[in-house]
Amino acid sequence: MKSRLILAGFLIPLALIIAAVPSNTTRAYRLTADQLLQEAVSYEPYVHPDNVADMLIQKDPSLILIDVRTPDEYDKFSLPGAINIPLADLLSDEYLDILDQDENTNVFYSNGTLKSNEAWMITRQLGYENNYVLQGGLNYWAEVIMNPVPPAQTSPDEEIAKYNFRKGASMALGGGAETNTAASAVPAKPVIKKKKEKKRVAGGC
Amino acid sequence: MTTKKLNPGSYMNPYLSGVLLGLVLLTAFYVSGRGLGASGAIKSTIVTAVDAVSPSHVENADFYAEYMESHPKPMKSWLVFEMLGVLVGGFISGALSGRLKLKIEHSPKITSRRRLIFALAGGILFGFGSQLGRGCTSGSALSGMAVLSLGGIITMAGIFGTGYALAYFVRKNWI
Amino acid sequence: MGPLAAYDIISPDTNLLMAFLIGIGFGFVLESAGFSSSRKLAGVFYGYDTVVLKVFFTAGITAMLGLLFFSLFGWIDLSLIYINPTFLTSAITGGVIMGAGFILGGFCPGTSFCAASIGKIDAMVFIGGLIIGIFVFAEGYPLWEDLYKAKFMGIPKISEALGLKDGLMALILVLVALAMFWVGEWAEKKFPREEY
Repeated sequence: MKSRLILAGFLIPLALIIAAVPSNTTRAYRLTADQLLQEAVSYEPYVHPDNVADMLIQKDPSLILIDVRTPDEYDKFSLPGAINIPLADLLSDEYLDILDQDENTNVFYSNGTLKSNEAWMITRQLGYENNYVLQGGLNYWAEVIMNPVPPAQTSPDEEIAKYNFRKGASMALGGGAETNTAASAVPAKPVIKKKKEKKRVAGGC
Repeated sequence: MTTKKLNPGSYMNPYLSGVLLGLVLLTAFYVSGRGLGASGAIKSTIVTAVDAVSPSHVENADFYAEYMESHPKPMKSWLVFEMLGVLVGGFISGALSGRLKLKIEHSPKITSRRRLIFALAGGILFGFGSQLGRGCTSGSALSGMAVLSLGGIITMAGIFGTGYALAYFVRKNWI
Repeated sequence: MGPLAAYDIISPDTNLLMAFLIGIGFGFVLESAGFSSSRKLAGVFYGYDTVVLKVFFTAGITAMLGLLFFSLFGWIDLSLIYINPTFLTSAITGGVIMGAGFILGGFCPGTSFCAASIGKIDAMVFIGGLIIGIFVFAEGYPLWEDLYKAKFMGIPKISEALGLKDGLMALILVLVALAMFWVGEWAEKKFPREEY
């Protein structure tokens, strides 16, 4: 009898506490500040508009463009096939599967790079992989892809190839006829990093 | 105290044991992210043995093939190591309490042979059932309860419910 | 932050070593409680020895509360813990067959290993039966594969199914378990057995 009472004396208060207190739903940071800083100052987070344009033209299914601006701005103009995750809602549960995954290449973009950088910082620190920032944002995109500047006649072949690609891209993405792009002018696209198996797997039981 | 129990002093207080077992279970969750288990270790052993005798059978039969796919090294599994530990732990406790003895435990009202036959039959049924139920009492019921798993509670209800239902018919074996 | 293995704070090999150590703790506690005796285990079905009830449910709620408190303090990420998926049909049928095995054999796999380690021959025979039973399942797998994979429900929680918060569910289970302990003690007084 005594041990039962002692047990009950411990368990009931503990159970009452656990029933009363709201559960903890914080997500832990996986990277240390040092690690994050190292990645942030490198070029790792960035994807050049040329890459994105190429992936769009090739209809690469792994590309997901994420517009982190407000819904109004998204409605006014957005890149082809982009989805809208306003920065304020970044940590909402409904987007978790989109942001924390290892099959697609997510590219955040905003007008400049302020918001998209912030989105990258937060998701990266939570340990999510395969999220990138569109270098220069929409402003640079417009400059480079939509209205490319023709290089001087004396520029190296590489520059001219790049220009041809961009012209073609702007036509393709502006709804024009598809043209052959100079594959060599496009830098390598980001590699999709496989997520480490997070859930423990049990060998049956 | 109205019952005369065998060696009443040497078994640990059940509530204390329960708390300790709960702490062991909690440790398993905290360290390895999974609950305890038992039947899976035997499954691993069987798959390994069959693979050693006839690898082609393993490739062709669904059960083994599915298992080998997710566990290329069946014996290097958490459950196998855990069950080895259980053998050691049980032995140590038995040794400390003077309960080490090679014997067939049975009710004085039945023969040893009868006990062994029923033990074998029970084992066969339990082995089969544990695969269907994806766990035994330790894995499905106990660990399932700790994580509030609905499946665990359902299996537990199945086990204990059936036990109570059939208890009357085999009462001669026990009481 | 736990689970340690999921966050790679310990390596997979260390994890296996921990499994061994945890197993030692498991085996030790089981044997100390008397789970190495089939007659004590079967006692719960006849009322003369409800040690199974007491230990089982105390352990279950201790670990349950432990997990919830750990999660509250941010010491463990509950979403990373492995939980057996629920397949309704096989969960029920498997449980029923296991129940039959339990009352006939007087053991479950974990306790049979524990009992075998102290020399109980009936436990060793039970383990032999387990091997046969699992082998039969494996060989005849195509026959019951459909049943085995029927009615997949994901990983539902009891609290979700009843529409309660986890904490409240834990409180209810604690009260239910405590009630059962009192019933257990009553049963032991009502159905005593002399020596076993």
